[in-house]
Amino acid sequence: MLRLHARRLLLTCLVVSVTTLQAQSTRTPDVLVSRQLAESEHLAIGQVIRLSPHTDGTDARTFRIAGIYEPTADPQRLGTVPRKVRLHLPDLLDLTRTATQVAGTDPVDGINIRLARPDDADAFIRDVNGRMPGVGAVRADLAGNAIGTFTVVERFHYAIATVTILAATIFLLALTIMLVDERRETVGILRLIGLPVGRILSQILLEGVLVATAGAAFGLTLALGSQRLLNRFFQWKYDSAMQFVGITPHVASLCVSIAVPLGAVATVLASWALLRRNGLRLVRR
Amino acid sequence: MRALAFAARSLVRQPARAALGMLGVAAVGALLFDMLLLSEGMIVSMRDLLERTGFDVRITTTAEMPRTAPRMERARETVAAIGRLPGVGDVLAVRFGDMALEQTHGDPLNGTFQGILGTPGPWTVMTGHDLSPGSGTDDVVVNRATAADLHVTPGSQLLVHASCESSPGAAPPVRLRVVGIVSFPFEIAGERMIGGSLDTLESACSARARDQADMVLVTSRGRPDEVVDAVGRLRPDLHAATNAQMLGRVEQAGFSYFRQISTVLTTVTVAFALLLICVLLTVSVNQRLGEIAALRALGFSRRRIVADVICESSLMVGIGGALSLPAGLILATGLDRILKNLPNIPTDLHFFVFEPRALLVHIGLLAATAFVAALYPMRIVARLPIAATLRSEVIS
Repeated sequence: MLRLHARRLLLTCLVVSVTTLQAQSTRTPDVLVSRQLAESEHLAIGQVIRLSPHTDGTDARTFRIAGIYEPTADPQRLGTVPRKVRLHLPDLLDLTRTATQVAGTDPVDGINIRLARPDDADAFIRDVNGRMPGVGAVRADLAGNAIGTFTVVERFHYAIATVTILAATIFLLALTIMLVDERRETVGILRLIGLPVGRILSQILLEGVLVATAGAAFGLTLALGSQRLLNRFFQWKYDSAMQFVGITPHVASLCVSIAVPLGAVATVLASWALLRRNGLRLVRR
Repeated sequence: MRALAFAARSLVRQPARAALGMLGVAAVGALLFDMLLLSEGMIVSMRDLLERTGFDVRITTTAEMPRTAPRMERARETVAAIGRLPGVGDVLAVRFGDMALEQTHGDPLNGTFQGILGTPGPWTVMTGHDLSPGSGTDDVVVNRATAADLHVTPGSQLLVHASCESSPGAAPPVRLRVVGIVSFPFEIAGERMIGGSLDTLESACSARARDQADMVLVTSRGRPDEVVDAVGRLRPDLHAATNAQMLGRVEQAGFSYFRQISTVLTTVTVAFALLLICVLLTVSVNQRLGEIAALRALGFSRRRIVADVICESSLMVGIGGALSLPAGLILATGLDRILKNLPNIPTDLHFFVFEPRALLVHIGLLAATAFVAALYPMRIVARLPIAATLRSEVIS
């Protein structure tokens, strides 16, 4: 699907004075209203309302509410209650057309196109841009700012995650150094009874992997548990259907692939200095 | 020996774990500091931007943010009426239009055309001169991005397709003369902007809907609240707001997500630091139980031993916390650079802004963390049975 320089295909904030009328007319055009607008103005399906393109309410026309919809969550409009009305384009053009405008010459902000063969998108864009100067065709997946917003927010969260991992690694190293030090005598005895360094190191590595796996599993469980809590809080806060936290399989596997090797490597690194020492020194004899 | 000096020696005895502990606190503290800067940063920065323009009252048609609200009609009459209100200084109406700038080579470049009604212009002149009441209707000022992209200087001419309604290609092109290069308030990085009179914009875009404005800016001579009230009485259909009220709208509408996320991350970071420092201290104390019991047997009081633990915690968190400030400022610069890539963010707006209050909260949170993290190890040493511990130490 292509979007031709789409900016505001939907009519937003047209509602200046929403007056509920009792009369029902078969000729009254249908509109959809956003859930938030319906709630704030106590609108219901079947009601007839008046919409005006002007702030003073002039040139108003009547419409019938055919449905109430949940607006697609827009990260750029977060915090703004989406009071929106969706009209059929001819109705919108009739409503907003000025006295000097000839019907049929109305401008539109964008045209969405679904191609029969999506693979032809780039060729189609080149064709449109070449044949129609003044019209800009772009791929729908590259249009709009929302994608940019998501990318930036993702980068921000990656940066925060990197610092958190750094802090956790440092603490983990400190902790493993202390824990390994606690087992100094045990390791010394194992060395004295003849276990090779490689064998002890393998055992420590295995222990590290097990502990890190258990830790990662606990962390994921905690994240999954808090996911719903955080989503509910932010959805309530912003009156939006947007999913703020999503533990996808990719995210989960990324976390495990970082946490488990990190835990194992930290354990081995902390143990390495200890294992290089003489067995007698380890048991303090 | 005082408790603090004794705790310092305890840390020096185990340099690796002490250094790692402090570095860990520094990393966590840096993140905590940044989250505190983020929680208020955008509001502080936005306040600075709003005040920098010199206007202290903004009038739009709805309580929406400017450029998202419907345009106000009869702009000239509105400006004149507001200008006659008591306590009103300068009045400036602004209308935004889309434009495409013709290039000698290559495709036209898109941008925004600001048409103004009233003086002075909301921009700062960098080169050349400002528009004056005697300026012709083809005189405009451009921002640095436009000047750089089109290689124009004061005196150059621009071929502009402007539109006050829809797509920039709708109107026939007009030739405009650049009189100055300016910096617009709330200019977005790389955004091409030109400014001219409202007449210039309307004639450039052959506007069908003339005499409209997106917002009116007012400089008050007295209290801005009184001007807001006066505008409300004059035009009940319009929404006037002081800078403080606009900040309230920004808090509601503009990226309050980051404020919320900073609260969540602050909580998580403090909990993380608390847990890890508590574990480090607990393991450290458990490893030194024999030593602590010996000190108690030598005559060190229970209170003194508890003081050692809290001093050790304070030293670790204190030194780590001190390191976290420069680390946090460096990290904030990087994070700010990332967030400024968000679409439609003004060049001069920052997400992370230093405030003394944030520093005080940071210090307070770290101090509380040091104390709370030491509570459990303090309990261990306070309840340590001296004889049994010494016996166990000797037997093992």
